Amino acid sequence: MTATRVLIPADAPRSAPLGRLLAAELRWVLRRPRTLVMLGVFALFPVLIAIGVVVADRSAGPGAGLIGAIAGNGLVLPVAAMTLALALLLPLAVAMAAADAIAGETAHGTLHGLLISPVGRLRLVGMKAFGVLVVAVLAVTVIAVVGVLAGLVVVGGAQGQLITLSGTTVGLGEALVRVALVVGWTVGQLAAVGAIALAISSVTEHPLVVLASVLGGLILFGVLSAIPALEWLQPYLLTTGWSAGVDALRDPLPLDGMAESSLRALCYLTIGTALTTHHILHRDA
Amino acid sequence: MTPVGEIDVAPDAAGARSGPAVAARAIGLRKVFGRTVAVDGIDLDVPAGSVLGMLGPNGSGKTTLIRMLLGLTRPTAGTAELLGHAIPKESARALPHVGALVEGPGFHPFLSGRENLRRNAAAEPLLASREIPAAVDAALERVGLAGAADRRFRGYSLGMKQRLGLAAALLLPRRLIVLDEPTNGLDPAGTRDVRRIIAELHAGGATVLVSSHLLAEVEATCTHVAVLQNGSLVAAGELRSLLEAGTGGLVVATPDVELALRTLRGTGATAYRAEGDEPAVVVDGGGPPAPETIALLVGAGVAVHEARRHRANLEDLFARLTEETP
Repeated sequence: MTATRVLIPADAPRSAPLGRLLAAELRWVLRRPRTLVMLGVFALFPVLIAIGVVVADRSAGPGAGLIGAIAGNGLVLPVAAMTLALALLLPLAVAMAAADAIAGETAHGTLHGLLISPVGRLRLVGMKAFGVLVVAVLAVTVIAVVGVLAGLVVVGGAQGQLITLSGTTVGLGEALVRVALVVGWTVGQLAAVGAIALAISSVTEHPLVVLASVLGGLILFGVLSAIPALEWLQPYLLTTGWSAGVDALRDPLPLDGMAESSLRALCYLTIGTALTTHHILHRDA
Repeated sequence: MTPVGEIDVAPDAAGARSGPAVAARAIGLRKVFGRTVAVDGIDLDVPAGSVLGMLGPNGSGKTTLIRMLLGLTRPTAGTAELLGHAIPKESARALPHVGALVEGPGFHPFLSGRENLRRNAAAEPLLASREIPAAVDAALERVGLAGAADRRFRGYSLGMKQRLGLAAALLLPRRLIVLDEPTNGLDPAGTRDVRRIIAELHAGGATVLVSSHLLAEVEATCTHVAVLQNGSLVAAGELRSLLEAGTGGLVVATPDVELALRTLRGTGATAYRAEGDEPAVVVDGGGPPAPETIALLVGAGVAVHEARRHRANLEDLFARLTEETP
């Protein structure tokens, strides 16, 4: 009849182990069909670019710009694919994960189940941020890995070396290091998007609101940065430095663009995380 | 923090020795949404070991009260306690011992029933990781869902969803189980199962707080009742004493209903035609004693076929408490 005892031992566990919570969140994210479909689409993305480049190369000679630089220079492909995907596809993926993470759980009526278990509200923020970050890392990694493989196999050329935009040649090892650098930088930018998306996700029970806000925000930023009179706004817009990934293809490697945009992303990340935490701590679930 | 902790621990220790204690307590709880007062200053004790049925029409504030007790909704005023701990400040101390099914079962459609429960179990502080698979299986078995455990939640019927929600509350032995409308969408067999589970929990010493609009359910399973109306508590206490407080009257079966009513009202007693097929009148308690009433009726020429004590049931009580007085 232990159940009739009212005394709660002071040392009774008050929370499930953090590792177990994160593992459960990871399983939940990866079991979701839309996550898997999304990763599949990201795997196809560099392959489609590679095929497009090869076909164009055969018919009409090398094109201009970044895509043109891929022709005969496969190791440019992963960097080009990440840069192109960062414009819209990757933020969309991260916004979707963030929308499901809190607004989706509220809509399904599962969030209050977690809170009653209980999962502390701060831990809940940590769990959800972790889930979104995992999606960002997986999406970028898939593009990079498939990009490298498709670049070497489909595009080929340059004897496994990378011809930089500056005209010099770097070896496979260093080229891969540069691709990894762009992966890390891209994940940082997406973390900023994810933090803002989570902040929106924590005040609504409609996942669509999160998607619409993030996409609307990106489009708005694009419009603002195209208006010359608003040039003073540029340093505050997250999207301003989003072409900095291409710097990895230059020699010597200029790091100031990526460093500056990473700093900007850190500001957005801090604001987003603070807002999410505040909302979760004060909301009625 | 430390002095507060000591003060809070003290009543617990006393409760453990002296037996009855309070499993959940609302002190002046009030919740206002915009201009709507959902819960209007409710004081309620849920005695430890009781099965308390919370009754009230739709929109009477049952769910809001439960959500405030569980720390899901912040009260506009007043305080809530669970197992002697202030909510929401000390939720982490109390909630591991509380199982709840609130506002319908919430699960993910793309996961099977078992996977959904595993996810819930992973968040339970008192379940060791190695105990989780067995605990999930036992809970599924207990609610009669073992056969459908590996089907996706998306394909579950309303009753199966409700059973899964119940299973989540029963993942481990709890001290307090809170069930908000547990029989929603259940067939008669499911309703019987819920009644059996509540009886088992009660026998095991757990406290059960169950809200329902099915009065027969509450009458069959509860030891205590709390009746809510427009956000206020209109009655609370032991079911038996509440029912007895409403009795004392007589039911007199007679074909001469009109004459009987005239005679009784002439003496100042409250009498009305009984509902049902048999012609009869009901005399409320508070008038003359039963033998005098019967003698009066017989003296007036009323053919008394049968006279018995009027036994109030919960439905009468509920109707009296929550309906506008005619």
